[in-house]
Amino acid sequence: MNLTPDDIIVFSVGGVALNATIVSTWIVMALLTGGSMLITRNLRPEVPPDRWRTTLETIVLTIQGQIDEISALPDRRLLYFVGTLFLFIVMSNALMVVPGYRPPTASLSTTVALALLVLLAVPIFGIGSRGVRGYLRSYLEPNIIMLPFNIIGEASRGISLAVRLYGNVMSGAVIAAILLGIAPIFFPVVMDMLGLLTGVIQAYIFAILATVYISSATAASQVAKEQS
Amino acid sequence: MSIDWITVAAQIANFLVLVWLLKRFLYRPILDGIDAREQQITERMSEAARIRAAAAAAAADHKAQIEKLQAVRESVIEEVRAAAKAERDALLVEARERLTQEQLAWQQERLEEARRYRADLQHTGVAALLSLTRKALDDLSGETLEERIVARATSRLLAMTDDLAAAAGDSREVVVTTREPLPQQLRKQLESQLVAALPDIGVQFLTDPDQSPGLLLRLGAAQLGWTVAKYIDGLQTMLDDMSRANKNTDAL
Repeated sequence: MNLTPDDIIVFSVGGVALNATIVSTWIVMALLTGGSMLITRNLRPEVPPDRWRTTLETIVLTIQGQIDEISALPDRRLLYFVGTLFLFIVMSNALMVVPGYRPPTASLSTTVALALLVLLAVPIFGIGSRGVRGYLRSYLEPNIIMLPFNIIGEASRGISLAVRLYGNVMSGAVIAAILLGIAPIFFPVVMDMLGLLTGVIQAYIFAILATVYISSATAASQVAKEQS
Repeated sequence: MSIDWITVAAQIANFLVLVWLLKRFLYRPILDGIDAREQQITERMSEAARIRAAAAAAAADHKAQIEKLQAVRESVIEEVRAAAKAERDALLVEARERLTQEQLAWQQERLEEARRYRADLQHTGVAALLSLTRKALDDLSGETLEERIVARATSRLLAMTDDLAAAAGDSREVVVTTREPLPQQLRKQLESQLVAALPDIGVQFLTDPDQSPGLLLRLGAAQLGWTVAKYIDGLQTMLDDMSRANKNTDAL
C-alpha cells in the first residue's frame, strides 16, 4: 500500500513520469476552473443571478468576510491567494469520496509546496505593504537578539502548516483504505463522511493560518499594534 | 513519508496557475459583478432618494397649494355667504314692503268697499225711508211729502217773520233749493207766503241733486232747512251701531 500518491505513476509523457498527485491536482484544477467558467460565462449586471452564481458569490463573499475579519487591510490579492488555497484543499479533500481517487493533499510534496507558497507569500505581502526595510526590520523586533528566533518561527510556521495538513488528510485516506479492506461496507462510508468533515476543517484552518501569517507581516498589523 | 521535490515544484507551478485561472474566471468576474450590482443598487438608491426628495417637495408644494386654496375657498365662501345674506335681507325688506303695500291697498280697498257699502246702504235706506214716508203720507192723508214740508215751512215762516226780516238785511232775494223740482202749485204757495212775510222780496227756486230731500231756504246770511238729513243721519247711526254690534258678536 502506497502511503503517498507520489509513488503512484499514472502515465509518462516524453519520459517524464506523472504521478497521481499531479494528475489529481490537474483534475481539481480542471473542475474548479471549468465550474467557474460555466457559472460566470454569462455574468452581466442586467442578468439576474441564478442559484449557481449565487452559491459562488456566497462562497467568495464568505472567504472575503473571513479575510476582512482577520486582516485590517483587505486586499484582493490576498483573496486570490487564500481563496485559492481554501478552494483547492476543499475540492481535493471532497473528492476523496470518489472511489480510486487519491487526494493531492495526502501527498507531503503538495502540502510542502503549499506551505512554501505561504512562506513566500508572507514576505511578498509584507514587502508590498511595508517596503523591504520595514519588513526586514520586523525580524529585529523587539531587539536584534530575537532575529534567530523570528527566523525559526517563520520556518516552523511553514513546517507546521505542511505537516498538519498532510498528516490529517493522509491519515484519513490511509485509515479509510485500511477499513475498506477489513469491513468493506459500513466503515468506509463513515470514514469518508468524517474525511469530508476533516477535509473542510483542515482547508479552513490552513487558509485562516495563512491569512494570519500574511496579515501579521503587513503594515495593517503594524498599525493595529501601534494603536493598541 | 518522503518529499518529491519535483512534485513540489510542479505543485507550486500548478497552484500558481490555479491562482491565475481562478482570478481570471472566478474572483474577478464574481467581484466585478458584485461591484457592478452594488453600483447599480447605489445608483438606484440615489435615484430613489432623488425621486423621494422630489416627491416630498411635490407633496409639500401640493399641501401648500391645498392650504392656499382652502384659504381662498374660505374667503370666497364668506363673501358668498355675506352676499347671500345681503340678498336675503334685501328680498325680505322688499317682500315686507310689498306685503305692507298690499296690506295698505287691501285696507284701502276694504275701507272703500265699506264706504261704498255704507253709501249704498244709506242711499237704499234713504230711498226706502222716503218711499215709506211718501206711501204712508199718501195712504193716510192723501198728501205728498213735499206738500207737507212746504206746509210745515209756511207755518213756521209766519211765526219767524221778524227774525227773517232781521236776517235778510239788505238782501232782497230768497233762494229756495230742493232736490227735485217743486210742483208749480207748491212753488206759488211758498212764494206767496214768503212775499206776505217779507214784502218786496224775490224768490228763486233751484234744484240740487246732492241735497237731502226737503227744502232749504237761504235769505242773506240766514238759512232755514226742512230736510230729512237729520233722520238719514239717525238712520246711519243706527246702522253703524248695528254693524258694530254684529262685529262684536262675531269676535266673541
